[in-house]
Amino acid sequence: MDVHKHFGGVHAVNGVSFALERGRIHGLIGPNGSGKTTLFNCITGLERLDAGHVMLEGERIEGLKPWQIARRGVGRTFQVIRVFPELTALENLLVVTTGPHETARAQALELLSFVKLEGLADEYAGNLSYGQQKLVEFVRMLMRDPLLILLDEPAAGVNRTLLNDLLDAVRRLRDAGKTVLLVEHDMKVVMGLCETVFVLDHGEKIAEGPPGAIQSDERVVEAYFGR
Amino acid sequence: MKRLGPLAVAVVVVLALAVYPMVGSGYGTRSVLQVFMWIALAGSWNLISGLTGYVSFGHVAFFGAGAYTAGILIAGSGWSWPLAALAGGLAAGLLALGIGVPCLRLKGPYFAIAMLGLNEVLRALVSYFEGLTGGGNGLSLPTLDATVPVYYAMGLTAVGVTVAARLIISSRFGLRLMTIREDEVAAEAMGIPTFRHKLLAFLLSAIGPGIAGALTARDQGYIEPLSVFPLATTITMIVMTLFGGKGTVWGPVLGAAVLFVAQELVWARYPYVHPLLFGAIIVAVVLAMPRGVLGLLQTKYRLPRTI
Repeated sequence: MDVHKHFGGVHAVNGVSFALERGRIHGLIGPNGSGKTTLFNCITGLERLDAGHVMLEGERIEGLKPWQIARRGVGRTFQVIRVFPELTALENLLVVTTGPHETARAQALELLSFVKLEGLADEYAGNLSYGQQKLVEFVRMLMRDPLLILLDEPAAGVNRTLLNDLLDAVRRLRDAGKTVLLVEHDMKVVMGLCETVFVLDHGEKIAEGPPGAIQSDERVVEAYFGR
Repeated sequence: MKRLGPLAVAVVVVLALAVYPMVGSGYGTRSVLQVFMWIALAGSWNLISGLTGYVSFGHVAFFGAGAYTAGILIAGSGWSWPLAALAGGLAAGLLALGIGVPCLRLKGPYFAIAMLGLNEVLRALVSYFEGLTGGGNGLSLPTLDATVPVYYAMGLTAVGVTVAARLIISSRFGLRLMTIREDEVAAEAMGIPTFRHKLLAFLLSAIGPGIAGALTARDQGYIEPLSVFPLATTITMIVMTLFGGKGTVWGPVLGAAVLFVAQELVWARYPYVHPLLFGAIIVAVVLAMPRGVLGLLQTKYRLPRTI
């Protein structure tokens, strides 16, 4: 993909190009304000691109509406949790699919037990703890069985036990052939989980490669810590 | 056994309301007719605003559109009133489609204000096209005492709106409408075509008021711009729904019945403090139970969505 996005005179994302490989976990890192979330919004159609394109499975998706992109197989979570608080955990998942009700229900319950929340299926999502809401948001995104999974700071505000479960789940999804792109500030998570890392700074890609190489890249160190 | 209770209650209530015009007074029949009308209006407002959170501040526009459609068809073209009532519902639905396409793209307060504007525009248009509508002088329908048949028609309309709400709220379509209220961006990102959902809900929410407006025009025999496009009617349907519980099936029914009776009692005894009391109810409801009576019971006692 190749993405340009500016707000007024600010080039939030300025010609960032990269390719994701199927069945791999990719990390997207960069200082605050470097354009990571904007890039996610461009991929998922929440922001319109000013120039460039986004390809999914050989087809251009950048002009489509967010719901169309979601139906093409792009699932995401948000930096700030966005569950539907006055819907139950189960309903949060049910609303996403269109198939027959019984199939959807069975699938939703299976996903909730995947993250050990089956006992809270009928609880309002707004009453769940932060971590539980994060899990509901995570499995809600899986209801459509997406090809590409975008995770915006999955580790933020999550305790160690929960985090390990979450990371395990991401690895299992990768093993099942899903492509994952995640934004994360926790470098331990990025280095331990990702196979390829892209680094953004001021809306531009400054580095790309395996985590080991990125850590010693001069421009990356400079972007994070200054010269 | 468990389901027999509510069913028995429903049968008794429906039978009692069905025989009422034969045994009750003229005033009583007219009052119940009004309650039916408020149930149809509040229940319809709930479909768009209670479920999706898009607050329609001009919903009476559909009532007025139905009233004028029926009035013109009856007085001008000699249609029978039941057919004219259906035409009123249809006209209101078409108006909702035409207005919904641009306005449902607006968010939050902008939509509310656009709807308020729509109502004012319609009122002005109706006043302007005198040849068709009689303008400010109003439109008189041929004399006909149809209170009792209109009573039944309005009752059917109220039942229709409530049944529609029950079906919608217990379906995934209804839940998707609620996701728009909860978080429209997340709903879109999860693959829900929110615009289509809003438009369909808006269309459905206009039909009931259209029919109710048409039936009211027939019952009163005379309509004028100020009587069928009053902002107060929109506010009343909003207050009734909020009081009973927005987003619930029976909330608007409860709100319509309780507030209508309260309004009649207070209005009869203290005509001057009546608006004051109504205002106080709004404030009290919003502060003490923002989810309304049924919404409060629903969360407290974990009742199903379909109450």
